[in-house]
Amino acid sequence: MTVATDDTTVGTRDEQTTESTVQRSQIQQFWRQYKKNRLSTFGGAIIGAVLIVALLAPVLAPHDPTVQFDSPPEKYHPMPPGSEIILTNDGEIQQRSTAILGTDHVGRDLLSRIIFGVRTTLIIAISVVLAAMVIGTALGGLAGYFRDSWIDETIMRVMDIIFPFPSLILAIALLGAIGIGETTYQFAVLGSVTIPNILKMILVVTIVYIPRFARVMRGATIREMEEDYVDALKSLGAGDISILVRDVTVNSIQPVVIQGTLYMGTAVLVSAGLSFLGLGVQPPKPGLGVMLSNARGYIYSGEWWFATFPGVMIVIIILGFNLLGDGLRDALDPKYETRGEG
Amino acid sequence: MWKYIVKRLLLAIPTLLGVSIIIFGMMYLAPGGPIDVMLGPHAASQEMINSLRAELNLDKPLHVQYFAWLGDVLRGDLGNSWTITQGTAVRELIVNRLPLTTELAILSLTLAVSIGVPAGIVGAVYQDQLADHFTRIAALTGISVPNFWLGIMFIVVFAVEFQFKWAAGGWVPPWQDPVANLQNLLLPTIALGTAVSSLIARMMRSEMLDTLGADYIRTARAMGVPRWRVILTDAVKNAFIPVLTVIGFALAGLMNGAVLTETVFNLPGVGKLLILAIDRRDYRIVQGVILFIAFVYVFVNIIVDVLYAYLDPRIRLGGE
Repeated sequence: MTVATDDTTVGTRDEQTTESTVQRSQIQQFWRQYKKNRLSTFGGAIIGAVLIVALLAPVLAPHDPTVQFDSPPEKYHPMPPGSEIILTNDGEIQQRSTAILGTDHVGRDLLSRIIFGVRTTLIIAISVVLAAMVIGTALGGLAGYFRDSWIDETIMRVMDIIFPFPSLILAIALLGAIGIGETTYQFAVLGSVTIPNILKMILVVTIVYIPRFARVMRGATIREMEEDYVDALKSLGAGDISILVRDVTVNSIQPVVIQGTLYMGTAVLVSAGLSFLGLGVQPPKPGLGVMLSNARGYIYSGEWWFATFPGVMIVIIILGFNLLGDGLRDALDPKYETRGEG
Repeated sequence: MWKYIVKRLLLAIPTLLGVSIIIFGMMYLAPGGPIDVMLGPHAASQEMINSLRAELNLDKPLHVQYFAWLGDVLRGDLGNSWTITQGTAVRELIVNRLPLTTELAILSLTLAVSIGVPAGIVGAVYQDQLADHFTRIAALTGISVPNFWLGIMFIVVFAVEFQFKWAAGGWVPPWQDPVANLQNLLLPTIALGTAVSSLIARMMRSEMLDTLGADYIRTARAMGVPRWRVILTDAVKNAFIPVLTVIGFALAGLMNGAVLTETVFNLPGVGKLLILAIDRRDYRIVQGVILFIAFVYVFVNIIVDVLYAYLDPRIRLGGE
């Protein structure tokens, strides 16, 4: 009896060693595939640079993004790139400097607002994708593990109702329901809690993205469930939740993560769209979408820089994520279907 | 075939019911409940509140309220607006704005399909060659540019810089002045169509790659049928089925885009109505528009599925 147990242990250890070698070489192969694609390396570089800008925003931004500067006499905001801006205090001139990319309609420095806007945009997109990924993975994993049971049916029915709906319109509908703007809720336990609109937007867009991750994860889980080791674990008496969390999820998470990178781009797109419609980030908080919303009133009067620069930044961020995501996906599986939605 | 259509229609019922429950439930999620949500800052007289209370059956249990509301909706009664010319039926507001949105959607989809489908085919046929790289990068850029920003840039360049009168936005019904109508919709169509065509090109390429890798294509090539003839007669014919699916998918992008494009170009369409209603917290309109969009979306997808089934004998015969 003891001998038999020893045998099993040895066998398992052997398997583990081979498996980790296989895994390492798989990662190496993946990396080699990824590096071969010059476009995706470029995308990775863009995202790296954008992340650095977001992290170092206070250092990189020449001015406070919310300070309203004065214009020189006879000049009015928004002022074109390279204009002189003046900081006054009680009519006394404190400081003169230059707005490299111009100013916005109330005299804030456009460049500083774009730099901090990158930060806001990334915080929103990363929060949305991470939250949706965690919840979607949990739901999809449960549905896939208990395939065709009532758990699967209930989860996927709800997901099927949300999934096909146009993302932006669903987000608008949900935002409309919970009310736009800051809301203070009264809770018995927590007292009064004030929820800013940006948090509402993150919540709403997360709901929109949960079904996408749930679907991918369910598929991956079902594929993984066909592996022999799952039956082996079950017969050894491992609990369902333990198998699902410690083995199946760990092994099938890769496509979900790749999907996450691909959805980063569309999450930026949706949240910028919501802010542009005035339903997302609220001024004076700097955000790229809300800057475009502010700029709308100045398009026809010729202040081109106001709408151009924040938009260019949005395009750079989305392009970066799309290049990166495409490259990761191709490296994982060149035949993976291109399916997405704006 | 009929069996399949009926099955598909029956399957849509739970989805639409689910959507209706969510839309109905939204009012109760909001702080302040339905009266506050629907009258919002306009909560004027006690008279208005009382009439709304009666209209919504607020003194009755929740399920009674829901079925009463659902009954109205099924009869086509979406309630009345409180903020846009008080008392106008929401249905009327939507119907009045429908021609513009429909025209914009059809024009953009036509543009998107006529660019996206050939681009996807070229990309797949010349996989990993120059033409493929070019179309892929173009499509990737296309999905990375927000259509509302593209619209703004169009206005900056064509309306402000070049002073083209037709570029300034606005809408004239086609039955009044068809030329001006098309001129006005030119830029919105391109702004909206670009992203959708990129989506279509990307999906078309991957569908086409699958088809080109199929055994029967290789057999045909091996039998000496010229490359382009195989592509145009066999592969494209079979890839036409995926095009339909792609259009079903593209519809969601088109609807999202229409809301933003109509806002940028100041077009009085259904999307603009939704934003206007949200701004004014006119919940009856929001509910009505969302329901309407859900309805259109579900039914267009059913039509796409039925056409798909009709074209694909595997489904057509399997469904009998």
